[in-house]
Amino acid sequence: MSLASPFGLAVLAIVALSLFGLPIGHAMIGGSVLYLALKGLDMGTAAEQLLNGMYTSYVLLAIPLFILAAEFMNSGSIMDRLLRFCNALVGRFRGGLAQVNVVQSIIFASMSGSALADAAGSGKLMQTLMTKDGKYTASFAAALTAASSVIGPIIPPSIPLVLYALVSDTSIGFLFLAGVVPGLLIGAVQMGLIAATARRRNFPVEAPVPLRELPRVTWEALPALLMPVILLGCLYSGVTTPTEAAATAALYALLASALIYRSIGWGDVYKSLVTSARITMSIGMLIAGALVFNYVITVENIPRTLAALLKAHELSPLGFLLLANLLLLVLGCFLEGTTILLVIVPVLLPTAAALGVDPVHFGVVAVVNIMIGLITPPYGLLLFMMVRIADVPLKDLVREVMPFLAVMIGALALITFVPDLVLFLPRLMGYRG
Amino acid sequence: MRAIAGWLRRRAENVAAAMLAVMFAAFIIQIVFRYFFNFPIGWTSELTVIMWLWLVLWGAAFVLKENEEIRFDLLSGAAGRRTRIAMGIVAGAAIVILYGISLPATYDYVTFMKVEKSSYLKIRMDWLFSIYLIFAIAVIARYLWLLAHFLRGKEPGEADPTRAGSGL
Repeated sequence: MSLASPFGLAVLAIVALSLFGLPIGHAMIGGSVLYLALKGLDMGTAAEQLLNGMYTSYVLLAIPLFILAAEFMNSGSIMDRLLRFCNALVGRFRGGLAQVNVVQSIIFASMSGSALADAAGSGKLMQTLMTKDGKYTASFAAALTAASSVIGPIIPPSIPLVLYALVSDTSIGFLFLAGVVPGLLIGAVQMGLIAATARRRNFPVEAPVPLRELPRVTWEALPALLMPVILLGCLYSGVTTPTEAAATAALYALLASALIYRSIGWGDVYKSLVTSARITMSIGMLIAGALVFNYVITVENIPRTLAALLKAHELSPLGFLLLANLLLLVLGCFLEGTTILLVIVPVLLPTAAALGVDPVHFGVVAVVNIMIGLITPPYGLLLFMMVRIADVPLKDLVREVMPFLAVMIGALALITFVPDLVLFLPRLMGYRG
Repeated sequence: MRAIAGWLRRRAENVAAAMLAVMFAAFIIQIVFRYFFNFPIGWTSELTVIMWLWLVLWGAAFVLKENEEIRFDLLSGAAGRRTRIAMGIVAGAAIVILYGISLPATYDYVTFMKVEKSSYLKIRMDWLFSIYLIFAIAVIARYLWLLAHFLRGKEPGEADPTRAGSGL
């Protein structure tokens, strides 16, 4: 595999074009066309792979629907009620609002599959609440929102886990179940970190909500809190397929916002559709590019070659996971997560299989890793988003995010080395692995 | 000229929103028929997949701006204006050439698909897949237009990270 081979040149072209600022989806399609041209193969194959790949990937339809569900929730007043509920629960502790931020993310995570949707939905509101009267610094509040949003796609539903299910041919249901404990673990280490530093940094306490108010606050948040129950109920009772469960969730979010909370009108529905359609297109283009380029990777037999190479070095499964983690963490500092998931992870999968690494465990480890990549500088989408939402300098945000990064990498290590943490729930529901 | 382009883009956005709405509605119909009337229907799942394919390619062709797509802008963002314009010219020219040279073979593939029809709705596959041709031509046209801007020393707008399109 020399650099002057058609494959080497294609990879070079994709990297160069991406670095020059071309959308990565176009860069992958372009690079693949270059490969086909240099190999003297039919250049129509690029279109064929893209069209057939998109047309037969029924599971991917869950993605626009999960995005739509999150948009419907964000445009209604569900988030406000959810926050009031979280405040009644954990506001009374030192650093109460910071804890609220994490708890809200955990609950929102069970309704939405996207970290960026969580940050976009609650980011502005949390920022205002936390920085009002100088309670917290703007950079700490922004760093916390970025860090806690990461939980979104680890706890089901999860868009990245849907993508992983596509590239690995693993059951979405088991993958979703496998994400529950790691997601809660990450929430727990973040809350632990806040509790540990709350006194030293003199974080404020919120006025405690009287316990007799709790039933009312809970009742008001109930329709929102029911959403994960409905979603997971649909999934695990086998009543609907994962994609249909996503549609049900979107319908429920729409009905709850429109009928129960009466907080969205036709204009908001249209806006949610447009926003969701835009996100769908841009992630869809990346998927399209990856479908074409993965064909090239398969023709070149790269994954099997790598598997044979690593197997020959008698790598242990744990050694492989450790290497994979390092690789993904480093890549996550520079690459966009979806690209890693759709291009790098498939290359590693045959090695994982050859070494006897459980595909569900590997998927959750990879996704947690890629989510951490959203808050690792220099390239972290959540960091960029919070810089814009909270209007704080990137360098202050990065300084505040570092402790969170440290505890989350600790949690990642635990998830990596104790597969039972991940696999315990799926096995309980009948996963044989 | 700018006003017409803006109007067309907004109409393209209407179409995209409608496609997503159709996809959503088809799913609901499918669930209702299967679980409430115990009557599984196949055309809805076919319709949803068609909407997905068309939504992505239609959107990439007519709705999304470059800075809304998933890009790696760390390097180009840090570069100076002249370097960035030079990068844009190289990247734009590459994409025009690569989409351009594959266009004839793509046309052959899509028209060849006229021999097949979709399973439920019986739509000819060359029609369904024609969106790729529309997409490829739109991409070529868009990058030619961008190239013309770059060559005159102008650059398109900056990216807005709060509208980052990644679904992660």
